Amino acid sequence: MSAAPESAGLAGSPPPGKSGMSDRWFSILLIAPAMLITLIFAILPLIQALDVTFRMGDLSRGKIGDYVGLTNYRIVFADNQFWQAGWVTLKFTVVAVGLEMILGVAIAFLLHGATFAKGITRSLLILPLATSAAVTGLFWRYLYDTQFGVLNWVLGLLGLPEPNWLGDYTIALWSVVLFDIWQWTPFVALIALAGLQALPKEPFEAAELDGASKWRVLTTLTFPLLKPVLFLVLVLRTIDCVRLYDAVAVLTRGGPGTATETMTFYLYRTGLKLFRMDYASTMAVFFLYVMLVAAVFALTPLLKQFTDRAKEA
Amino acid sequence: MQRKTSIPLEVLRYGAIFLVLGFFVFPIFWMVLTSFKPESAIMVSPPRFLFTPTLDNYYHAIVDKNFFFYIKNTLIISVISTAIVVFIGSLAAYSFARYNVGDGHILFFILSTKMMPAIAVILPYFLIFRDVGKTAVGKALHLGLDQHGALIVSYVMFNLPFAIWLLVSFFQDIPRSLEHSARLDGLSRLQVLRKVTFPLAAPGIAVTAVFTLIFCWNEFLFAYILTRKLASTVTVGVESFFTLQGILWGPVAAAATISVAPMLVFVLVMQRYMVRGLTFGAVRG
Repeated sequence: MSAAPESAGLAGSPPPGKSGMSDRWFSILLIAPAMLITLIFAILPLIQALDVTFRMGDLSRGKIGDYVGLTNYRIVFADNQFWQAGWVTLKFTVVAVGLEMILGVAIAFLLHGATFAKGITRSLLILPLATSAAVTGLFWRYLYDTQFGVLNWVLGLLGLPEPNWLGDYTIALWSVVLFDIWQWTPFVALIALAGLQALPKEPFEAAELDGASKWRVLTTLTFPLLKPVLFLVLVLRTIDCVRLYDAVAVLTRGGPGTATETMTFYLYRTGLKLFRMDYASTMAVFFLYVMLVAAVFALTPLLKQFTDRAKEA
Repeated sequence: MQRKTSIPLEVLRYGAIFLVLGFFVFPIFWMVLTSFKPESAIMVSPPRFLFTPTLDNYYHAIVDKNFFFYIKNTLIISVISTAIVVFIGSLAAYSFARYNVGDGHILFFILSTKMMPAIAVILPYFLIFRDVGKTAVGKALHLGLDQHGALIVSYVMFNLPFAIWLLVSFFQDIPRSLEHSARLDGLSRLQVLRKVTFPLAAPGIAVTAVFTLIFCWNEFLFAYILTRKLASTVTVGVESFFTLQGILWGPVAAAATISVAPMLVFVLVMQRYMVRGLTFGAVRG
């Protein structure tokens, strides 16, 4: 696809707006392909999903059927399993994101003060990010294995209890959290580290001259200056955790029982295992609605940063 | 920065760093190690660190399971998706960064689709690709279920918002004055884009390409649901090592190592640029 080659030959005159095409049209032409793709492949499927929420949609009996009003919504909202899955997702997200942020920032401080083997440390730290949750997650089952797993072997050596990581329904969710922490804490750490390294020097020197305590410098200078970066990481991690699917699919398949069944996994099971497209679509639409409301809060500060920069030029 | 260092504190620091690295690297190390183990050294307790290495697992994965078939599919799908995402994304991001088109509203709309859980649209996608695959256009573009085109389209859609987000901050870093003087020299807007802006933004575009490639390469849900056999990617391929007798850990480790290795190497090479890029201009300097 090529965007607007026709403007190439026309624009000879320097000041914007005097060429064959106005800046306005040029800018619209540039975003057109992206807009088109987004409209077709995000909005159309959503409209279709929305349509199915008002209809009978038991695919095991054939096609999408008659309109049934709000019945699907009533059934889904009365479904305990649905709220249960929402609760599991919430627990997972809060704990995983919380721990990843705390550990990640701690590791960033740890590495920031180090002077030795910086490059290799960062290179090793980034490795989990490059692996696929579906692939390494599967291999983590071997690490978690109660009989042959390394994890319990180490715990045994230390004389600690050896839990049934994926089989015990009180622990399984936290085992998935641990895997997520393994994969994503480096992401938080590396970005926080980049943030730390880019902090301006002057205010810190001034604080030192004033004899400010370390704690005061940390709370009044370092963290406020790091806030934009940390907020960004928080948003990105939260989005990914709420949408978590891969790790659950390969580690526990939602089990034991439904102990690790997150929203996405329950949706998947309803739609593509039980073939109830109507219920699944209803959940998806509700899920999406919640995410969009959250998006307004999460994206607005980030966008403000963007428009500020656009105007400052 | 000059600071007083006490030796015990430094020992503590490097001890902690060592432990942290151990935690993050060990699973990958163990996976690679397991891939070279004979079966007798895998299902044993306590775990064995010393053994006679063998290539049996790789033989099983590559010859018996034809694992390179999945690699080939993954390569085709992720490279084409990445090329499309980077091209379309760069044009859009430039428009946002320079012309502030839509005054942030359109950008918000595109970014908000990043919030969309894949699972929310995967059911409609499934139905759409099933139907489109039967039409003439769909056949020509391989858009049906279990065909490369369907996955490429899905990946383009799902990576575009993130790519645009990244790219906008890179384009904002390029001084406008350079473009302006190029315009004064008589270049058209499109020529400026091609000869001035894009070359200057090349590192940022490369970082975006790396991220997109990694995401496509590692994607599981779409690949799992939209393909059966012919267009399956590595993540789905590794899943196929689940057997009724249980999981064959040796071959799984071999297949996992093969599928993860290209991205690991890639990331090691690009590491410096990636971290800077990911701060999205929230970090200046």
